[in-house]
Amino acid sequence: MNDAVTKSYQDQAESLKGSIAGMDDARAQALEEFIAHGFPTARSEDWRYSDLRDLRGKAFAPATHAGEKPDIPEAFGETAARFVFVNGRFSESRSDMGDLWQAASVRPLANHFMANPDRANELVRGRDGVAQLNTALAKDGMVIGIPAGVEIDDPVEIIHIMTNAADRAAHTRHIIELGEGASAHIVERFIGDDGAYWTNSILQARVTEGAKLSHTRLQEEGAAAIHTGKVFVNVGAGGQYHACNLSLGGKIARFEAHVRLMSDESRATVDGVALAATGQSHDTLTDISHTMPHTTSDQIFRTVADSRGKTSFQGKVTVDKDAQKVEADQSFKALVFDRTAEANAKPELEIFADDVKCSHGATVGDLDAKAIFYLTSRGIDPVTARQMLVEAFAASALERIENEPVRDALMARVGDWMAARADKPVPESK
Amino acid sequence: MLKIKDLHVNVAGKEILKGLSLEIKAGETHAIMGLNGAGKSTLANTIAGRDDYEITKGSIEFMGKDMLEMEPHERVAAGLFLGFQYPVEIPGVSNLNFLRTALNSVRKQNGQDDMSAADFMKLVREKAKLLGMDPDMLKRFVNVGFSGGEKKRNEMVQMAVLDPKLAVLDETDSGLDIDALKTVAEGINVQRREDTAVLLITHYQRLLDYVQPDKVHVMIDGRIVKSGGKELALELEEKGYADVA
Repeated sequence: MNDAVTKSYQDQAESLKGSIAGMDDARAQALEEFIAHGFPTARSEDWRYSDLRDLRGKAFAPATHAGEKPDIPEAFGETAARFVFVNGRFSESRSDMGDLWQAASVRPLANHFMANPDRANELVRGRDGVAQLNTALAKDGMVIGIPAGVEIDDPVEIIHIMTNAADRAAHTRHIIELGEGASAHIVERFIGDDGAYWTNSILQARVTEGAKLSHTRLQEEGAAAIHTGKVFVNVGAGGQYHACNLSLGGKIARFEAHVRLMSDESRATVDGVALAATGQSHDTLTDISHTMPHTTSDQIFRTVADSRGKTSFQGKVTVDKDAQKVEADQSFKALVFDRTAEANAKPELEIFADDVKCSHGATVGDLDAKAIFYLTSRGIDPVTARQMLVEAFAASALERIENEPVRDALMARVGDWMAARADKPVPESK
Repeated sequence: MLKIKDLHVNVAGKEILKGLSLEIKAGETHAIMGLNGAGKSTLANTIAGRDDYEITKGSIEFMGKDMLEMEPHERVAAGLFLGFQYPVEIPGVSNLNFLRTALNSVRKQNGQDDMSAADFMKLVREKAKLLGMDPDMLKRFVNVGFSGGEKKRNEMVQMAVLDPKLAVLDETDSGLDIDALKTVAEGINVQRREDTAVLLITHYQRLLDYVQPDKVHVMIDGRIVKSGGKELALELEEKGYADVA
């Protein structure tokens, strides 16, 4: 990384000093770590499929106010609340607080630490330059605390919009805490214009005993954007975390899920779909850590790469020495539409306990020519046939989203993505 | 309805059909019989338009049009149906969604509007009942977890819903117990009308007890070597292919 880039980020962190009570120390530490590490390169095992040249080569200035008024996307059905962030800043006027504030504690990041400056210690700093820079530069985010026993049925949408932000970055940090037996569904959405901006988002969550957090991410960034999104979740006894990420947008996009299953019967299902059009790169890294016995994890990832598109999946599962009776499953399947499309799979299982059931599977291939012929031999045109097969392929990773309007919206995105490819000639079947 | 002239087809570089000719008129039911490897399924798949088969010579005319110029889905819209010897499993696509998409694709190609959901459900339930299919199977993924017999029954339901002019049924009788065979035969017989035709491909005479063909053809090594009436099937059963041909 060149000095000018480092200097710019140092200056940015400096200018944030004192802006959020309690965060200065965390920022300073994270910045120090960032300067020591720099941005990850392909030499780092976790980043071997990612190309972060664009981040290393130039500094992204902080995104500022939006200028023109951005359009707010429609909600997927009923919501408990909608929080809108424009260029990384919470926009209260565009948000819809719903009734959520009556049942839960909801506040922007700055106010959260103002009330509890010590809690800045709880900010997850991460292990690489991307996460560290988020900690050093985060200006805003939503802090949502659901009290014990409270169940919020309708989704809570967090919408990130980037507009007029070319060469600029937004570092947001959301904190979700579920009390004992509480439940909630967070839907994060990422959209933006055609500028070459950078979204660097972290959501950290604590799912305590018997609580249940569903988390859906729909990443539809602009075509030139870089998206790095990380999730850090700790799950307590009998707690459940379900994540599903649909990665559609951006030029370079990365999603990471770091989940620690910390007590008996805690469970995580981490699913995702990535659709890479020509020139796009979609990376996924999951890191599921079973630290205690009787914990369960299950992952289903499906990716599709069109010509010169690229998808990668690294699935790490760690089972600690004393974590007996753990069950961990992982399934990754990738479709590549031609020889120029790329899919990478790297399952990593580190198992130190001896009484566990762990499985993983990875396949890469094109759509089944026999299935296409079967559908066309019933009168269905080849474009629709391919669309049906890709929808079915993606559905297995999306179907665990319990909320129907959200699930349907994501399924529809898959259909739209295939329909957008309909104008192109259908590749020769093998 | 169907005119095949001197058809030569290569599969993976090897000639499988070696000058096959066949004509089927509206109102007729034909049976092609032959041993495994004679090229029966290649013929069926060539008629349906499998794109990895290479047609080196000959022609297929269907409903007065050059069939070889048509895509598989266009052949279906023109009135063709192929019952597969090995129906394909399609995880993630429900039978109902599959049938509705197929029917409406055919209607669209023929300039008709989509069938309403209510009319479609009525039609499908009626056909499933006719063919003895459990209505719950309509909700399941296409052929996934179906027994051999259930898959063949599912083919017949698809045929009944699409109501083709020409049904080419490739070994539809294989894998069926006697009750299923009778039900399937009934489904085929319902499909036999003055304006339709059926081509049965089989290597047993069994199905022909229930669906009596107007003409029987014996196929050996990529050609039709003998044609006759339904008595030819019985002769084959009795004497074997070598003696008859």
